[in-house]
Order: sequence, then structure tokens, then C-alpha cells
Amino acid sequence: MDMFLYMDKDTFVHNLDPRTKIFVMFGTFTIALLFNSLPVLLALAALVLFYGYSGKVLANLKRIRVILFMIALMSILIWSIVGGGETKLLGPITLEGFIYGLTVAVKFNVMIIAGMIFLSSTTIEGISLGLVKLKIPYRGAFAFSTAIRLVPMIVGTSYTITQAQRSRGLDLDSGSIFEKIKKYVPLIIPTFVSVIRGTNVFSMALESKGFGYDSERTNYLQLSYDKRDYIFMIITFILVAVSIYVKLTFDF
Amino acid sequence: MKEVFSMWKSTKMVVLVALCAGLYAALLIPFKSIVLIPGITEVRPASALPVVMGLLFGPAGAWGSAIGNLIGDFFGSLGIGSIFGFVGNFMFAYIPYKVWDNMGLVNKNDREPDLKSGRKIWTFIVAALGGALGCALIIGWGLELLGMVPFAALGAIITLNNSIPSIVLGIPLLIVLYPRIKKWDLMWTDILPPEDMPKTGAAARMGSIIMYLGVMFGLLGGLAVAAGAAGQELFSFTGQAGEGTSVILVAGIGVAATFIGSFMQ
Repeated sequence: MDMFLYMDKDTFVHNLDPRTKIFVMFGTFTIALLFNSLPVLLALAALVLFYGYSGKVLANLKRIRVILFMIALMSILIWSIVGGGETKLLGPITLEGFIYGLTVAVKFNVMIIAGMIFLSSTTIEGISLGLVKLKIPYRGAFAFSTAIRLVPMIVGTSYTITQAQRSRGLDLDSGSIFEKIKKYVPLIIPTFVSVIRGTNVFSMALESKGFGYDSERTNYLQLSYDKRDYIFMIITFILVAVSIYVKLTFDF
Repeated sequence: MKEVFSMWKSTKMVVLVALCAGLYAALLIPFKSIVLIPGITEVRPASALPVVMGLLFGPAGAWGSAIGNLIGDFFGSLGIGSIFGFVGNFMFAYIPYKVWDNMGLVNKNDREPDLKSGRKIWTFIVAALGGALGCALIIGWGLELLGMVPFAALGAIITLNNSIPSIVLGIPLLIVLYPRIKKWDLMWTDILPPEDMPKTGAAARMGSIIMYLGVMFGLLGGLAVAAGAAGQELFSFTGQAGEGTSVILVAGIGVAATFIGSFMQ
């Protein structure tokens, strides 16, 4: 089961330092949050999509298409009705509300696509080491990367338990919302127990391999900035600075 | 709050953080496509876990809850809201174990979270509501501050979305899990050495009360202001409404009190 978004390609986006990609991602978030202007956000979306296209990772858009579509649909629906405005289109739906809903949908989707591009072009090891280089304590980064690696195993365990309970007659599809929630108890408990009972063995295995022996760790994977990283960081910095200037001066 | 940082010295606690985070993420991910507020939240039966993890594993449960939520966001909704999601989910597990330990609701000679008495079940409900509402307050306030989702919508939905599973599922979960975790010596109080344990006493109790009142004041006050009690429209951001008491201010006072109370313990 391939749950992760990472796509193994040899592109310049993949070869950027994870810290650069984190900087680009947060730069995108900042610009998206600054503006409520549909043209500006569409321009940003085009830029983000071009960045993703350069990294050959846009195929992952298919995997999150339901989420992107639901965001767009719900935003447009909600804001068309409650957004207010004078130009009535149909019932409580107004043109101004519709445009605002569309703007919010683009804003959310741009941020999610920026996150997707980062995850599609960066390995878990890269993210973890990038966090350590950004002065996140090693043990925190270790817990984070271990947890990510454990997710498919836990999902697999819970799937097996679900099938086993179904074969014993557990009906997860019928009943009220409270009854459905209660039916998750015989699924969550064995999953929880099967995962947690490995704690003692896991910690002994780690300590037997010298976990925590020395605060100055060395890594097989080495990160370093090169010319492309500096160029990308400077471009992102300029775009964010210009966006802040435009926002403060022209108040989009 | 010192155990939140000192726990990283213990390998077993680091492993528990990873396992709790993996578990929480694994239960969040299957429901990612059942959206309640686009890009922000979805149906979350996994919300039963943070309170239980907090009571069993203390700070490891809190970090696990925060990291697990972040990993859940990696599967389709990573955005600026993930920062507030991280802090909010941390508090979702942190507040319950602090309420349990410090607010004086359970007998001080029998603080084990085994839910073997009506008083303990009642305390669990109070603690779970504190965690659920604290999480809603922080995320709702943060996203209102950024102008992304109105506080009224997000605060109310996260409150319900968190509190129902954490109480309905959390009670049977804790009743079944506690004896096993205790037997395996995995309770956080059994793992951390005495010097790394948080302080108790009057200051901690006061901190716990301030934290709880901050959560209630921030969330309920913020919702009241958003509902029109002070001139703000329900689905407007503060900046757009521009009159009356600000949701950001009221909820912000609650957030500040929550953190001040947390640091006192």
C-alpha cells in the first residue's frame, strides 16, 4: 500500500535542499494569506503549478482531487449563501458571495498544492534531516519520521482487525451516528494495544544501537545549499517582500 | 510544564510519542475525504485518542497528538492552519492530564485514571471537554486571526467534532486500556524519574483552574461575540465586521489565559 505522496524523480525541484523547499512552501502560504484578490491568487496558483510541473509531481493532484474538489465546492456553496452582497443570482446566492467563495477556494487549494509539491518532492529522511538542520531537536525529528513510517503499518493492522471483526458479524454501516461511533471501539482497542505493546522492545532496540549516546550526531544523508537553493530562496524572498509592499501600499 | 520538555530525555517516552503520533495519524487519514470545513477539518472519530493518550502517556501523548495531527495533514490538507492544528491538538491531550492531576476533582490518594468510580468518570468528562474546547479555541482563534475561517463556524464544529468521540469512545477505551498500560509499566508517571515530574501544589492547582477558565471564557465568549452579543456578524471576520467587541480579542484573552495557566503547572 503506497500511502505517501513522495515521487522518486530526478528533477531540480527534487534536488533542492529540503530547507529551501520549506522556505518556498511558507513563502507561498504567506503570499496566499496576504491577498483576497482572485486575479492575484490565480497568478500565484499558476506559479505554484509551474513549480510543481518543473518537479514532475503534478500527477499527485489526482490523489488529492477529491479534497481539492470538496474544498472548492464547499467554499463556493457556503460563501455564495452567507457571503452577502447586492447582486442577487438565485435565492440567497449573490455574485459577490460567489466570487468571494471562489477566491477562498483558490487560496486554500494553492496552499494545499504547495504542501503537496513539497511532500511529493522530498523524502521523509530529507524532511527529518531538514528539520534537524533548522534546529528542531533530533529526538523530536526522530519521533516525527518514525511516526510517518509507522502509519502504513498501523493502517494495515487496523484493516486486518476491521476485516476480522466484520467476519465476526460487526456491522459498521448501519445505525445512527452515535451507534456507528460506538462500533469503532472494538476496532480502536486492538489496534491501540497491538501498537503500544511494542514500546518496551522498540526502546530497548534503540538504546542497544546507541540512541541518545551522543548529542553530536552524524548522518549518512548530507544536506548542503548550492547555487540553485540560493536562487530559489532569493526569488521567494523578493516575491514575499513585493507582496507585502503591494498589500500595504495598494490594499488589495 | 517542565515534563513536556524533560520527557525527551527518556527513550521510552520518545518511542511513545512516535507510536501515539502514528496511531492518531493512521486513524485520522481514512476520514480525510469526509470534509466538514474545507481544507480545515473533517469527520474525526480519531478524536477519541488524544484525551486517552494524554491521561495514559502524559506529555508523550500530547506531543504524539500534535505530531499525529500534522502527519494527518500531510495527506491532503497541509497548510498554514496546520501550525494552529499542531498547537491545538497538543492542548487536546495536555489539558486533560493536567485537569486530572491538578484540579482536585479526583481523590489525591487515588489519581490512577482507571475510571472505576462515578467521580472519576465525571472528572474524565470534565477533562475531555477541557481538551476538546481548548483545541477548538486555539485553532478557531488562529484561523480567525489569519482571516481564513470565521470563529463561529470553526469553534462550534471542532468543539462538537472533538468532544463527542472523546467522551463516547474515550470512556470505554480508557477502561479497557488502562489495566494493560499499567501492567506494561507504560504510564507516564511510572516512566519519568521524580526529578522530571511536574510540580504539584497550590500554584499548579491555580494554574489548572486558570487554564480551564481561560478555555471556557475564550471559546464560549468568542462564540457569544460571534453570535451577535457584541455586534459582530456570525459568519464575518472581525476585520470585516469592524464594530463591537472583537472575537479575536475575547478568544485571544482565553488563549493567553490557557497558556499562562499551563506554564504555572
